[in-house]
Amino acid sequence: MPVAHEGLEQEIGYVTKPFEIEHIRGLFEGTDPLMHELAYNLIVGNHHDVDRLTKDALDRDFSANNILDDGLIAGMAIVGIKFRDNIIFVPEVLVAARAMKAGMKHLEPILSASGIEPLGTVIMGTVKGDLHDIGKNLCIMMLRGAGFAVHDLGVDTSADKFIDAVMEHDAQVLGMSALLTTTMPNMGKTITAFEEAGLRDQVKIMCGGAPLNQEFADDMGADGYGKDAMDCVALAKSLLGLEEVMKAVPAKT
Amino acid sequence: MALTETMKPRERVMNALAGKPVDRTPVANPTNVATVELMDMMDAPFPDACRDPELAARLAATGYTELGFDSVMPYFTIIQESSALGCDMQWEEKDNWPTVRMYNPIWKGPDDIRIPPGFLEHPDNIAITRAIEILKRELGDEVAVIGKTMGPWTLAYHVFGVEPFLLMTVDDPDMTMRCLDRLKEISVLFGEAQIAAGADALTFPDHATGDLVSGDYYRRFLLEIHREMVERLSVPLILHICGNTLDRMDYIAQTGMAAFHFDSKNDPQAAMDTVAGRIGLVGNINNPETLYARGPEEVRQEVFRCLDAGVGMVAPECAVPLATKLENLIEIPRAVKAWHESHDE
Ligand code: B12
Ligand SMILES: [Zn+2]
Repeated sequence: MPVAHEGLEQEIGYVTKPFEIEHIRGLFEGTDPLMHELAYNLIVGNHHDVDRLTKDALDRDFSANNILDDGLIAGMAIVGIKFRDNIIFVPEVLVAARAMKAGMKHLEPILSASGIEPLGTVIMGTVKGDLHDIGKNLCIMMLRGAGFAVHDLGVDTSADKFIDAVMEHDAQVLGMSALLTTTMPNMGKTITAFEEAGLRDQVKIMCGGAPLNQEFADDMGADGYGKDAMDCVALAKSLLGLEEVMKAVPAKT
Repeated sequence: MALTETMKPRERVMNALAGKPVDRTPVANPTNVATVELMDMMDAPFPDACRDPELAARLAATGYTELGFDSVMPYFTIIQESSALGCDMQWEEKDNWPTVRMYNPIWKGPDDIRIPPGFLEHPDNIAITRAIEILKRELGDEVAVIGKTMGPWTLAYHVFGVEPFLLMTVDDPDMTMRCLDRLKEISVLFGEAQIAAGADALTFPDHATGDLVSGDYYRRFLLEIHREMVERLSVPLILHICGNTLDRMDYIAQTGMAAFHFDSKNDPQAAMDTVAGRIGLVGNINNPETLYARGPEEVRQEVFRCLDAGVGMVAPECAVPLATKLENLIEIPRAVKAWHESHDE
């Protein structure tokens, strides 16, 4: 069923894979027009409007959790697909991310006070010697958008910093990014450092970045490789055994 | 049949850039081919070789003397001008490229942009212009000496930070244009200095790649500026944009640049079809998978694929990984010659 919000309906029109259309339509089915308005403004990157609409929604007694799921996350799902399919590019994703932040500013304090559990805790960072972070930041945005708690270690991250962060936050998943052939081997070195510290079993390790591939990730002993930000979310979920949950609730009501 | 070479490397490269006939397809390095092995051989390690003209020239010369390429390139990075502008630098070690710490940008908008006095005399710029003089003197009759000046889009990443700059392109396209208009003066200034030092051609990296921005961005923000660069810089220009660029190659073909240096993410035949003779193509041997991780046989196959498509100058797609094995690089000119031997009569 088409949604009444014309702009949002047009955005949904960019989704072309049948199973994704079904999933995306499910996200908006039966939810309030205010959530559609919120999702739409997030997709097009109007951060001032997302800020205002999020406040409005809280004033109108929508729960923070509903606003997050039905407005912000639902909108971000479309952003991820449009980026993967080259309909939008990094600048357009950055403005959507900024809009997401504008909404989260109001939701985060409520969510953390209410003790709602994230899907899982993920540590993300770009490896030692590498300063590329655009792709990693997009992954973080999508992970957060999907309901993960993410700690970002930034760029140029040593194996020790990765280990410390995993221990400190009791993270289930570690994601490493590398864009340079010169720094790719540092992923393997980090994995070895986890082994040497006797901590390899405590965390699932995923890798990504343009020069990588499945073969390289396997050789280094990673638990998974993801080719883009959408993949990163799917991978994090599958590493935590959450795919089933995904399939069980494709359509929110 | 054995290939008879009738041209010197320099003539071969310059002819290819001018769209004139060549005795065989030239092998070039519009970005650079420095590797750790070559640094060790010449005792010219990074980062010193990026900052000292003697070392830069010595390391660059190996592109010809050790690898057999038809050109040499003493500018191994993309950050020399940015260092001279005052960017926060991370010089790294022998095994990694130096870079700008873009999370620490120096400027916010067009009014901040100013060219510091003595810009061209900054040691990191002098390293390049002097190295060009040395190479010109020592190898100038033999090989093409190619210089490199960063385009305004790449400079903008460095001085504003990538994310703030890309946000600016959405929030305020006019302001973005004003920034690019000012930054392009830096491209011209450093380009002219290298021409005066003897550069035969200039690589012009300007990373408006499909991995970051749309093809329409290229048309809106850069097409005009790139045309202007062709007018203002008096040697052949080789535009370099790595990543996916097929969706903007039609625009790129309209810039008047002598050549476009393209990435292996783009199929050579599709690229040739798109530009349809309006601009020369240079490329596009894959770096991470082929040159870095495979062997000479795979390199040869990829060289053949470029030549079969009619690519006018064969080159690695971008700065080669520093740990690339020499045998893989040496295979590029060998494969080009082998291809000509079996194709020319
Ligand atoms: C933007 C860019 C830069 C910017 C980086 C700004 C920043 N804050 O990140 C700047 C200009 C600073 C830069 C610097 C350099 N760069 Co650079 N850069 C690029 C460029 C053009 C785009 C990279 C990018 O952001 N892509 C867009 C994002 C969205 O894609 P992505 O990073 O691949 O991420 C996606 C996936 O890979 C995946 N992913 C990423 N991380 C992870 C992690 C996990 C866990 C998972 C599951 C998935 C995942 O999801 C992401 C979203 O879909 C590429 C060329 C290209 N076209 O790819 C070169 C490129 C990466 N750079 C290169 C080089 C050589 C350099 C420099 C050395 C240049 C120099 N001489 O100074 C320096 C190195 C600095 C350093 N030490 O790190 C080379 C690397 C060569 C090689 N094979 O080693 C490239 C490939 C260009 C080329 N063709 O040669 N660069
Ligand atoms: Zn490049």
